[in-house]
Amino acid sequence: MVGPLLKGLRITFTHLFKPAFTVKYPYEKLDVHPRWRGKHVLKVDEEGREKCCYCGLCEAVCPANAIRIYGEEAPPEKSDVGKIAAIYEIDYRRCIFCGFCEEACPRGAIVLTPYYELAEPEREKLLRTKEDLLEKR
Amino acid sequence: MVEIVIVTIVKLLIYFGIMLLFVAYGTLAERKVAGHIQDRLGPYHCGPHGILQPLADGIKLFFKEDIVASASDKFVYFLAPALAVVPPVLVLAVIPIGDSITIGGKTIPLAVADVNIALLYFLGVTSLTVYAIMLGGWAGNSKYPLLGGLRSAAQFISYELILGLSIIGVVMLVGSFNLIDIVRYQKDMWLVIKQPVAFITYMIAAIAELNRAPFDLPEAESELVGGYHTEYSSMKFALFFLGEYANMVVSSAIATALFLGGWYAPVHWLSFIPGPIWFLIKTFALFFFMLWIRWTYPRLRYDQLMGMCWRFLMPVTLLNILGTGLFVILKNGGL
Repeated sequence: MVGPLLKGLRITFTHLFKPAFTVKYPYEKLDVHPRWRGKHVLKVDEEGREKCCYCGLCEAVCPANAIRIYGEEAPPEKSDVGKIAAIYEIDYRRCIFCGFCEEACPRGAIVLTPYYELAEPEREKLLRTKEDLLEKR
Repeated sequence: MVEIVIVTIVKLLIYFGIMLLFVAYGTLAERKVAGHIQDRLGPYHCGPHGILQPLADGIKLFFKEDIVASASDKFVYFLAPALAVVPPVLVLAVIPIGDSITIGGKTIPLAVADVNIALLYFLGVTSLTVYAIMLGGWAGNSKYPLLGGLRSAAQFISYELILGLSIIGVVMLVGSFNLIDIVRYQKDMWLVIKQPVAFITYMIAAIAELNRAPFDLPEAESELVGGYHTEYSSMKFALFFLGEYANMVVSSAIATALFLGGWYAPVHWLSFIPGPIWFLIKTFALFFFMLWIRWTYPRLRYDQLMGMCWRFLMPVTLLNILGTGLFVILKNGGL
């Protein structure tokens, strides 16, 4: 009867001096997989033009209705096909990070990045607009 | 006369300070030990390795909203948390932390009170703790605290017996209830060597009396929410918590004085370290042992708890008393 009790004490005591399995999160971060589905980014091409041409496929395919997109005509220096998105909003209160928008996009304009720290103190701030999402060059 | 009063007050303040520090860092130690046993780190954010965590906890508890359960018996509801802190503080008076020191030609004993019935006083005062838990459980007017309080009462009364009976072996050998005499008796050999069974039963009974895991049925989280302090918040909850940890410290200190040679060094060549330091080290070792136990064993079932007390510990302690009595008689040359 006493043997197993002592064995238990021995096991916990050895664990006391083992290095911690956990990570000191805000100070240290775990590397995520490069294909991790986190925050979206709207790509721009080599000449600084937005790749998005307002086809609306991402909005149509989004199962959570998190994307709102509205287009406008654009001069050739802003778009190679003559149209860009005037409004591009992703509502992170709704987004489920399925990556369907990335799959649906015919021009590779929207891509999910491994950036995952999206928490905000207020819910309204989770509605991200085009300025937030556009790739910085 | 005035001098005695001043000296006593100063000693009491120092003791109280040591105990509060011990309690504050006891909570941190608990969380750190829990963390490392589970391969985590425990508190880490406040200060280096979480050193300032007790301070942050205290500030947080002060500023929590103080909720008073509306259907509660107000007087008893307010009385119970205060009762939880009083017994361990009272026991401080008889703990012999060291022998005596000489300041300015005067010899001052380090224990606050040199009482010839110190052990009886300890048993009597600590058994008052159960009132805090019972009344706290009853006053909230809610079913989970009530169940916790009832369990606590049954558990406490059973294990109080074991505590008393395991101390009797020591008292028979020393022939005194005075804790200072008991420590002096252990100058050459600790009583844990002469009374190993009593030490083990004392520790089991002490942990059971403190309602700590694996005997924490009065506050069994998985079945009773928070047990007797479910209806308490803010500083009232903190007082229950303080009482529990202070009781742990006091029980460890008494066990140190009873079994681990009090202020004496374990081997002679180490006696250059002052007695009070040894006392605190030993107390902390026992305190750590309680934490270690808590994070190793699962909680007992209620019938197992009672069965262990009455069917196993009770006969064992009685046999220990019988054996000790026999030893004392034979040593003194028979009848």
